Amino acid sequence: MIEAQHLTKHYGRAVAVDDVSFAIQPGRVTGFLGPNGAGKSTTMRMVLGLDTPSCGSVTVNGKPYRQLTDPLRSVGALLDAKAIVGGRSAANHLKWLADSNGVNRRRVTAVLDMVGLSDVAGKRVGTFSLGMNQRLGIAAALIGDPDTLMFDEPINGLDPDGILWIRNLMKSLAAEGRTVFLSSHLMSEMAQTADHLLVIGRGRIIADASMEQFIIGNAAPSVRVRALEQTDLADALARRGAVIDSTPDGALVVTGLDSTAIGGVAATYGITLVELAANEASLEQAFFELTRNETDYHGGQLAGVTRGA
Amino acid sequence: MTATTSTYPPYTASSGLSTAMSRTLKAEWTKFHTLPSTWRMTVTAIVTSIALGAILCASQASQWATMSASQRRSFDPTACSLGGVFLVGVALLASLAVRSVTAEYATGMIRSTFTATPTRRLVLVAKAAVSAAFVFPVALLCNLVSFEAGQRVFAAKHLQVSFGHPGVLQAIIFGAIGVSLVAILGVGLGGIIRHTAGATTAVIMVIVGGVTLGQFLPAGLRQYLPGTALEAAVTVHRSVGLLRPGTAIVVLGIYAATALAAATIRVAHRDA
Repeated sequence: MIEAQHLTKHYGRAVAVDDVSFAIQPGRVTGFLGPNGAGKSTTMRMVLGLDTPSCGSVTVNGKPYRQLTDPLRSVGALLDAKAIVGGRSAANHLKWLADSNGVNRRRVTAVLDMVGLSDVAGKRVGTFSLGMNQRLGIAAALIGDPDTLMFDEPINGLDPDGILWIRNLMKSLAAEGRTVFLSSHLMSEMAQTADHLLVIGRGRIIADASMEQFIIGNAAPSVRVRALEQTDLADALARRGAVIDSTPDGALVVTGLDSTAIGGVAATYGITLVELAANEASLEQAFFELTRNETDYHGGQLAGVTRGA
Repeated sequence: MTATTSTYPPYTASSGLSTAMSRTLKAEWTKFHTLPSTWRMTVTAIVTSIALGAILCASQASQWATMSASQRRSFDPTACSLGGVFLVGVALLASLAVRSVTAEYATGMIRSTFTATPTRRLVLVAKAAVSAAFVFPVALLCNLVSFEAGQRVFAAKHLQVSFGHPGVLQAIIFGAIGVSLVAILGVGLGGIIRHTAGATTAVIMVIVGGVTLGQFLPAGLRQYLPGTALEAAVTVHRSVGLLRPGTAIVVLGIYAATALAAATIRVAHRDA
């Protein structure tokens, strides 16, 4: 469980995280979603006691991170997979982490197995690909068998197999009752992994809801339709109160009526449909709907002060 | 993911600072000795120190015939044989200490370190302790071999001294302590400067630059410079302008402690 209260971080006059409060619950994957520079990484660094909040507080299992005894046994985190001294082997990198928190070194072999790096355990980390580094970073996060896990953009640099693997790993960690907090700016990936969403924009929490609620609440499903008598159909649907957009390829995108109702309208007027497809509301759509109303990201003035995503 | 379920001996939480310190020491030692470059640098330091010491001795021996009486009186065969260590070996060994801090800042791994050990002063103290504990026996070995090699060179001119000679053993041991203290100074400068090149240059400036710059200082001040103090630690013949070896070690200790304390304060109060 991670709890933030009025968490705030200023860099000079710029505000990277602005009065943020949330509680990340155990037993589910919570996605931390927001554009680059929105304050995700800064928030995560404050959770880990790396950056000191300007105001407010954040605790893990009720304690500020810096007061945890052997913190790797409570919290595992992957912030930047490339942030690693390259001369050491993967196994030795995990060994010092184990030593630092009194974790049995047998755990090193176990976590290397879990992430599929056993074969390269003795290889210098400097020779690793980004994907291998991500796996090593996840092994490092798991070293203390912690009940809270935090991953910042863990799928960057992974191939499709790796992405699927991470998705399943996150879900199974949550299913074991752990708190899993995962940041990403990749919407489609988040939609498939997270159960709950925390959306941040310009340093402020703009949504804290289950994935389902978030999508339903912020995006209406639409139907894509084409007919031989396109104009007649558009008129008929408009009379029924539908909102109609057209696409460059000539199809209509209809919101406010479902595909059954549109089919009925077409039948009533003897219109021949050549295409009728329901578009499920997507996370991406919901996200853009929400952020269009809430904020304007095009200024980009925060990106320079938050040290990465 | 059943594999994540703990099957290891029960974990006993202990909040004691001594437990945290010993774990941090163990982790820092693991980091230190698992870097192949540590060993490459160590071998380089040993070979360079011994070779340079022998060259310095050979040069002194060859000039003996033309040296004045006063030069002959102040000639110190012990200090001369250890010259390779306290002129060059010390910088190479101290660079190991510097890098144990700066390499982590350069890569960003320092965040993993401070996540594992949030009490940051423990990390710097452990790095200093590990560096000094590693450097001491290495420097001692360099000193012993350099001394032996140097005296063999001097033997040709009958200028050699033996281990049993008063002050020789002390110079060899104090020299190694001095090099270890410079390593601690290196950890401190590494924490303050946080860039490998900058911090390594600072250490070299402190040792060698101090000696060069010292020419412009009155002897009373010059003897307190780190490089001069290191020279004093290995000097057997009492000479003007050098502290007693014991005092020199204390002076080096103060430099090391001050740098480490400053680094601790700086690192603790910064965002990592």
